[in-house]
Amino acid sequence: MADKKPGEIIGSSNVLDRPEVLQDYAADTSFAPRIKPSCIVRPANAGEVQAIIKWANETGTPLVPVSSGAPHFRGDTVPGVEGAVIVDLSRMKKIIRIDPVNKLAMVEPGVTYGELQPELEKEGLCAYMPLAPRGGKSVIGSVLEREPVTMPSHHWDSTDPLLCAEVVFGSGDRFRTGEASGPDTVEEQWEIDRVQINPFGHSHVDFQRLIAGAQGTIGIVTWATLKCCYLSSVSRALLVPCDNIEPLIELIYKPLKFRLGGKLFILNGLNLACLLGNSPGEIQKLINALPSWVLFASFEGYGILPEEKAAYEQADFVAMAKSCGLKPQTAIPGAKAEDVAALLCKPSPEPYWKTRFKKGFQDVFFLTTLDRTPDFITAMYDMAKQCKYPPDNIGVYIQPVVQGTSCHCEFNLYYDPSVESEAAKQLVSAGSEKLAGMGGFFSRPYPAWKDSAYRNAAGTLAVQRKIKEIFDPNGILNPGKLCF
Amino acid sequence: MAWQDYTHDMQRCTRCSYCKWIPYRYMQNTDFMQGCPSLSRYNWHAYAASGKFNMAYSLLQERIEIDDTFLDVLYRCQMDGSCDISCKVQQDLEPLQLMQELRIKCVEDGHLIPEHMIVIDGLRKEDNMMMAKKTERGKWAEGLEVKNLTEESAEVVYHVGCRYSFDEELWPAARGGLQLLLDAGVDVGIMGREEACCGGRAYELGYLGEIVKYAEHQTETFRTAGVKTLVTPCADCYAAFKVLYDKIDRKLGIEVLHITEYLDRLIKEGRLKLNKAVPMTVTYHDPCHLGRLGEPWIHWEGKEYKVMGQMIVHDPPKKFRRGAGGVYEPPRDILKSIPGLKLVEMYRTREYSWCCGAGGGVIDAYPDFSTWTGAERLKEAKAVGAEAIVSACPWCKRNFLDAVKESGEKIEVYDIVELVQKAVD
Amino acid sequence: MKLSQEEYGALEEIVGAEHITQEPVILDTYNQVWGNKFFFDAKHSVRPAAVLLPADTREISEIVKTCNKYGILFKAFSSGFEYLSLSLVHPKGILLDLRRMNRIIEIDVKNMRAVVEPYVSVYRLQLEAARHGLYTGRIGVGYSAGVIATECCHHGCQHTMVFTSGYGRNILGVEWVLPTGEILNMGSGEGGGDRFSADGPGFSLRGILRGRTGANGGHGVITRVSVKLYPWYGPPQWRQTKQPGEAPSMGQLEKVPDGYRVFVPSFNNLDDTLDASQEMCRAEILCAFGIAILGTTPFFEGNDEEWAAMQKMGGSSVQSFDPAGGLTVANSTVCIIGYQSPRELEYREKCLRAITEKWGGKFSPEFNEPRALARAFADMMWSNGVNLRATGDFLPSSSSPDGSPAMLKKLALEEAEVKKRYEEAGAFLALGSGARLVSWRPEEHLSIGAQGISTAQYDPYDPDSLKAARAFIDELFDPRSPFNRYGVPSRGGCLQIEPVTHIHQNWGHMYDNYDMWLKKIKKMLDPNTVGDWTAYIPPEYPDYAKDGDYVLPSYGKEEQL
Repeated sequence: MADKKPGEIIGSSNVLDRPEVLQDYAADTSFAPRIKPSCIVRPANAGEVQAIIKWANETGTPLVPVSSGAPHFRGDTVPGVEGAVIVDLSRMKKIIRIDPVNKLAMVEPGVTYGELQPELEKEGLCAYMPLAPRGGKSVIGSVLEREPVTMPSHHWDSTDPLLCAEVVFGSGDRFRTGEASGPDTVEEQWEIDRVQINPFGHSHVDFQRLIAGAQGTIGIVTWATLKCCYLSSVSRALLVPCDNIEPLIELIYKPLKFRLGGKLFILNGLNLACLLGNSPGEIQKLINALPSWVLFASFEGYGILPEEKAAYEQADFVAMAKSCGLKPQTAIPGAKAEDVAALLCKPSPEPYWKTRFKKGFQDVFFLTTLDRTPDFITAMYDMAKQCKYPPDNIGVYIQPVVQGTSCHCEFNLYYDPSVESEAAKQLVSAGSEKLAGMGGFFSRPYPAWKDSAYRNAAGTLAVQRKIKEIFDPNGILNPGKLCF
Repeated sequence: MAWQDYTHDMQRCTRCSYCKWIPYRYMQNTDFMQGCPSLSRYNWHAYAASGKFNMAYSLLQERIEIDDTFLDVLYRCQMDGSCDISCKVQQDLEPLQLMQELRIKCVEDGHLIPEHMIVIDGLRKEDNMMMAKKTERGKWAEGLEVKNLTEESAEVVYHVGCRYSFDEELWPAARGGLQLLLDAGVDVGIMGREEACCGGRAYELGYLGEIVKYAEHQTETFRTAGVKTLVTPCADCYAAFKVLYDKIDRKLGIEVLHITEYLDRLIKEGRLKLNKAVPMTVTYHDPCHLGRLGEPWIHWEGKEYKVMGQMIVHDPPKKFRRGAGGVYEPPRDILKSIPGLKLVEMYRTREYSWCCGAGGGVIDAYPDFSTWTGAERLKEAKAVGAEAIVSACPWCKRNFLDAVKESGEKIEVYDIVELVQKAVD
Repeated sequence: MKLSQEEYGALEEIVGAEHITQEPVILDTYNQVWGNKFFFDAKHSVRPAAVLLPADTREISEIVKTCNKYGILFKAFSSGFEYLSLSLVHPKGILLDLRRMNRIIEIDVKNMRAVVEPYVSVYRLQLEAARHGLYTGRIGVGYSAGVIATECCHHGCQHTMVFTSGYGRNILGVEWVLPTGEILNMGSGEGGGDRFSADGPGFSLRGILRGRTGANGGHGVITRVSVKLYPWYGPPQWRQTKQPGEAPSMGQLEKVPDGYRVFVPSFNNLDDTLDASQEMCRAEILCAFGIAILGTTPFFEGNDEEWAAMQKMGGSSVQSFDPAGGLTVANSTVCIIGYQSPRELEYREKCLRAITEKWGGKFSPEFNEPRALARAFADMMWSNGVNLRATGDFLPSSSSPDGSPAMLKKLALEEAEVKKRYEEAGAFLALGSGARLVSWRPEEHLSIGAQGISTAQYDPYDPDSLKAARAFIDELFDPRSPFNRYGVPSRGGCLQIEPVTHIHQNWGHMYDNYDMWLKKIKKMLDPNTVGDWTAYIPPEYPDYAKDGDYVLPSYGKEEQL
């Protein structure tokens, strides 16, 4: 295999090496250093992925798997070393199977939310989605990144909605996780109603946990089964405005405890404005109209009594809000709940919502508990001032995860890339350092903050490196990412 | 049954560890969930009833010998039966009986605990378990006008037992019980200096011969005295006379009652009136020998067979003693009839009660363990807000008094008779 | 075997003389547990060389380092109620009895988590959590089962999994003494922070902590866990007391507690039962759920009492377990609803009744009278324990993997045909008419499938019954059998002794060579192989007798004392 070139393995038309294309993959909007790949390969199936990995092992070629289309934001899909080959999985676009009874979908890595969601809807299902992902975002990419979904009551585990997966490890071995493992092909498994639904194992290892959050350093996933939700036949939504975040935090704990309701999260006024507005001018108008903080809650009606489900959930939520002295509403100055709800079952319309305000943005996010978010917000604003970055340009998104036992706390730094990059870059660096020092758990260590993330994780780092040696002994998968 | 006859039980002990706890259905407070003092104190699994099953099976298989460790594990146990009750919630096994048979075997084979030897030596010489002079027995009743059953007969014999006879600090309760009967017009007498040990504690230590001897002696004594009913304020004696004598086929042949049963009867018949207020918050400690160990003996002889393929049943059906038939309500009814008295219950009561710590020879051979066990019970009493802990056995009272001294816990210790006395005009 | 003076001394130095023993009398109380006879042909498994009672993580770390130095095998356990808790590969091994590590470190009520040490039992946490309106799922094996054993080390199936999940899904933080003696704190707790996430940074080491089953002590000692808690809708405290007409030793609730409702619908046939069950689970209205395992009837004091009652019922007791018998136990489900408001109750009850009606179900008075419902509630929400009384033992495992309800139905019916042969031969407890029961436990509102349930009860001291039990397991565990497409039996190592039943060695190559990866992970974590692997995996397979590629079962073991 070593003497073959990628083109001989997957066909030369699926190998891209034009300079302008290489430039596109050399960098993204993060501040990761620009490193040009040697080429981009675009396999069509798992066999080709495996062949490429085997070739990479033999030739010592670093591989960088990418499943989502551009633009990329976090630095994880930019080569970490010279001479890398990008493995662009966007050709693998099959929606292999949708199972409306067991509420799951089996997809290849190139499938985007925009492609999957309409197909799911035909079967009465809906994808668990992150907040308004960009159009080219790969479903598997998002899930493997452990991006939080907007429905915490259904988020039992950090890997949700991932069920099973087929992966080619860095060693070149193909493997199917969980219930997907076995002597049969998946088609043969379907004959006996094995539907690749149970994620555990097999046996004493939860293999799917080793590929989720790994930024492609352990293996390349060639398909995955994903939990889906029922498509609501009735949906209600409410917005809860507040000048301060603390009352909203007090409120949000209540439905979370009882797993009540559907989509549930908090945004500051800026972020809600960016979601709803289509231009900088519109966004600015909305900023002026919207309250400082807004909690969004939806109540999804499906099953045998959909109206009743949505109705009682909404009524109970209103009672909870009342006990906190808050008033949920279907509309607030600047926003209607149903307009927000409409954005949540599909990718962000173009342009991507985070680019509308100032074109540029950087995300800083980590995990914490809801009760600590006010402290982190204050700290971030203070850091912004120190970095001479206007705090008013920071969007905040609080997403409860794992049924409310923690939350994804995200700061979106909006800036004009032509003049404000330095301040943004400084704030990303200093801010993440500060927040990590306060106990913010940077569980997804993208290049911008991986040093902070691993500073207090020496034990984890040591074991991860040993695991890496097992599954990718030659270290060819995405070197330079995580702690590798 | 000999110890080897429990092979079925040894084999079927699954190590579920229920013997270590009170049954979960009765757990109320996580600080007071444990049932077995031995295991709670010493931690090794051997100290639990399951451990005794394991030890016995290993002994049977000749994998181990009876050595000092064996004896230590076997005898650092109050034989209180908590394990037995908990085990039987889930199983048809007899852990307490197996432990009893192991003790008998140890004694028969000459594996003796030195401290017990001294006590038994005293028993053999002086007919009591207190290493006291027989001639001193009966002093507790000096001054009381009561029939001497060596000289006259009565309907009822009031048998105080060895602890009450010789523990002077406890005499008021012993005297009080008798006085209450007398004041209620009961035709009662005592054996006085001629009262002998019931043999129950000796049996628990493994001395089978002693209990047989005393059972025969007592039967003859009471027959001669012409009594119809035995009343005792000592729970140990109660269990010996009522349960153990029946077990060894030496039934006493007369009615056996604990003082609480008799007083309860008197109160309900109107013959004993409790009119004076006793403003106190108390909690009642169920003595093991009045409660779960006081449940009547059930004789069974038969065979095991299988139904539905493999379910193990017996012919005739075998009824297991699971503790519910002990004396629990009469003492409580008495306390509830005392004006002004507030009764609060501890978390482990009735057949799931935590032992006072004195039984099984522990107070003689391992006094620190005995006191520790009692102190644990006092903590529980305090935890439910009691000012006083009330029991119905001199061994319990003695051990609680010692535990108060040792631990410094601020709580009063009463026998139930003393509270009844306070309530009587 | 005895440790050398130097070895023993080194361990004694760590825990103190009072907390280590090599007395044979005590050692032999650490190697007798149900299931031993099945695997080892004796109630005794290998006698440990010593048993220790460590006080804390530091001591455990030192002990493990000492084991590495001297090549001593070790294994830790909490209740030790599984034979694989106490099994050792060879006699130069020590057991760590974690009884002294029994603290509930914290219950964070707002963020719904509890941090506990190894000896904290599930029921104790349930009692404590209830005071704060919180709950941890009910474990099948009895109330002395430990939280850490359940969540991290062993199996972790919960009867309440429809709502409370299981199998390690609730782990939010872990402190782990690795087989090298190093201490690893996973996730947000590593830097000294609160333990709200065990995942990362990067990929989660929960992946190697456990899978469908834990390592059963084979890769170190878990000394602390942070677990997700769920809402408890009931009162902060409750009393179970003796009830008239009930076995006195089995306290009962007077009624289903406020905050909960229990319903037991019955259906006309198995298909309707299973279809209704699926719909109810996916309706997201349940806190607990069971098929054909009701807990509605009074408990009997003992086997004789139970037999007497069954004889009174006559043939109807047998028919009640027949799925072909209409509205029987086999076609009944226990559905427990919790509610935090009257509106929620109204909706959930209406939903349940609508689904019941849709599938032709009825609420039979026998199963739905208040006492029956109270019994079912207590049985389902708090652990009753396995019924080992009936025959003395139950089978370590059958195949019972996880998956879709449709798959589990297929497998259950096929497996029941095999079990029926043994029941008809009198080798197993035969509850019913030989009818084939189908039951499964839903996980997370069925969103990740369900767990298949299958047990058989046998008498290990009846040679024919024991022989039959082994033959039955051998049939299911043989990768050449017709069941080999449904999943690795024993859930890939949940209840098996690898040196005896060789699951990994026989099945690994058929299931994506998972065993190869397991071996590498074991070797990585435990370079000196001091973590006992009887219920995990060795770094290399020893030489076992084979029949072609199939490794023959190795029941029984000669032990030199």
